[in-house]
Amino acid sequence: MILDLIQNSFDGLAMGASYALLAVGFTLVFGVLRRVNLSYGPAIMFGCYAATWVSFSFHSNIFLLLGIAVLGSVLAGTYVERLCFAPHHKGSAIAAMVASFALWMQFEEVVTLVMPKHLYDFPPMFDAEPLAIGPLSLRAEALVMLACALAICFALHRMLYRSRFGLALRAVTDAPVAAQLAGINVPRVLLLVFLLASAIGGLAGWLIVSTHTQVTPMLGMWSTLKGLLAMMIGGLGSLPGAVIGGLALGVLEAHSQWFLGPQARDLIAYLLLFVLLAWRPRWMTTSHG
Amino acid sequence: MDFYFGLAQIIGVHTLLGLSAYIVLLTGQVSMAQAGFFAVGAYAAGMLTVLAGWAILPALAASSLLGAAVACAVGFPALRVKGLMLVIATLAFGEAVRLFFFNFDYQVARGGVKLGPLGGEGFRQIRYFPENGWTTMQVMLFIWIFVVLVMAILWWLDRSRYGAVLRAVGEDELAAQSVGINLTAVKVSAMTIGGAIAGLGGGIYAHYTTHIEHASFGILLATFALAYPILGGLGSVFGTVVAAIFVQGFLVEGLRFLGDWRNLLFGALIVLAMNLRPKGFLDAPTLRWIRRVFGGKRGAA
Repeated sequence: MILDLIQNSFDGLAMGASYALLAVGFTLVFGVLRRVNLSYGPAIMFGCYAATWVSFSFHSNIFLLLGIAVLGSVLAGTYVERLCFAPHHKGSAIAAMVASFALWMQFEEVVTLVMPKHLYDFPPMFDAEPLAIGPLSLRAEALVMLACALAICFALHRMLYRSRFGLALRAVTDAPVAAQLAGINVPRVLLLVFLLASAIGGLAGWLIVSTHTQVTPMLGMWSTLKGLLAMMIGGLGSLPGAVIGGLALGVLEAHSQWFLGPQARDLIAYLLLFVLLAWRPRWMTTSHG
Repeated sequence: MDFYFGLAQIIGVHTLLGLSAYIVLLTGQVSMAQAGFFAVGAYAAGMLTVLAGWAILPALAASSLLGAAVACAVGFPALRVKGLMLVIATLAFGEAVRLFFFNFDYQVARGGVKLGPLGGEGFRQIRYFPENGWTTMQVMLFIWIFVVLVMAILWWLDRSRYGAVLRAVGEDELAAQSVGINLTAVKVSAMTIGGAIAGLGGGIYAHYTTHIEHASFGILLATFALAYPILGGLGSVFGTVVAAIFVQGFLVEGLRFLGDWRNLLFGALIVLAMNLRPKGFLDAPTLRWIRRVFGGKRGAA
């Protein structure tokens, strides 16, 4: 029983590592720019499908596929930013959200038109046996994902607090008008943040699909929802919080699946999020950093 | 002709859904929970006519009341937060409702056939209209009576003191609070009215499609609910109807000949509409123009 619980927690951490990766990218767009980009997941899916297409046509190296996935997500992200977010900078955050949803539909349509099968295989990162720790096992890919999430988190933190770009970004977040008056090119900073988040999304997507070794059109919606949940649990706009939130969500899901069955898993996660948001404990009110 | 009546049914139900988001948007709150209230209404009304043998009108009244009750109960905790947090909290609630119905089994044998909601399979055979010999046109007229009724009520509310209070809260919460408006009461009451309209719309939806399943009430529907009033403009209830006709009539049905490519153009046109008319089709200058042309003396208002 105790062993089961620990093994479940390990499985949950493995799943949570992918949530953490998604949540870190989200935190840049949602937490820093305060905008709901529903197309974040579908843009990642677009990148992953581009990589899948290359892997099917040319059987290329897995690390080349990483480049393709990042490039694809960045392209998709640029498209989203130019059409949905750049024109709606002043006010009107809902219009941007609805527009980003319209692009979500486009991304799903494009990938199913080009690759109509329901499920595609994706080459794995490496062939490794799950690590055995006594009677327990943990997938090696999960450790790679977790390490990447922490590394990205650390790098972003350095960028935000140690670089000129980070300073400009924080200025834009705190006071856009004052930032503009101080000579910061606000639209450019916002575009760059968006592209950075998309690139992180591409990396996250590549790690996730090569761990799960499959790609489906559901990846878009899945990434948006899980990333959103993990980010909110960890406290809006906090990068370490996003990682912790992702892991917490994974562990919670693993345990609710074990105790209440697979169908109750997502229900529990959403109810928890609703309660957390309405009750709003202290750690969820952090702004950023 | 039945095709156009069917289309008018869809537009009517989507208008109701849009209006339920419209009244909440007037207070400046963005709710992604409207699809959840819509689902509650759909399942409640379907179960009342199919399993309890109620007539359609009392069933719709009950589904509308239930929608209002759920919205009110959700509104109190949810409306403590606003902006981005509210969007995500209501999104979480809507998805939780959808997943509840995904797991919801309640089947009763009626004349040798098992009827009622069955989890992922959905709820089939909500056959009140066909069993009572309603034609497509009658159903269509039935739906539009409700649409016109709800629009008339909202239009009247908009011009009353309550409407001014709603818009005051939407415009500037701090200013509204400082003149003695109870923010919680205003927001929760708007949410409750929205829930009643969504519950009514859901009840009608269940009966004209005869088959409902959890997947129909996802984020797609929740976003559509918001898209109608945003696309149409918050200046007047008529904007929501115009947008529902534009989206369901033109974008969904009118572009059907494009086949698989339809969704690409659909997305592009929504984005284009948002960029060209950020305040909606019927924004303030357009409304003034319409009033000047059709309004006569009242046009000055």
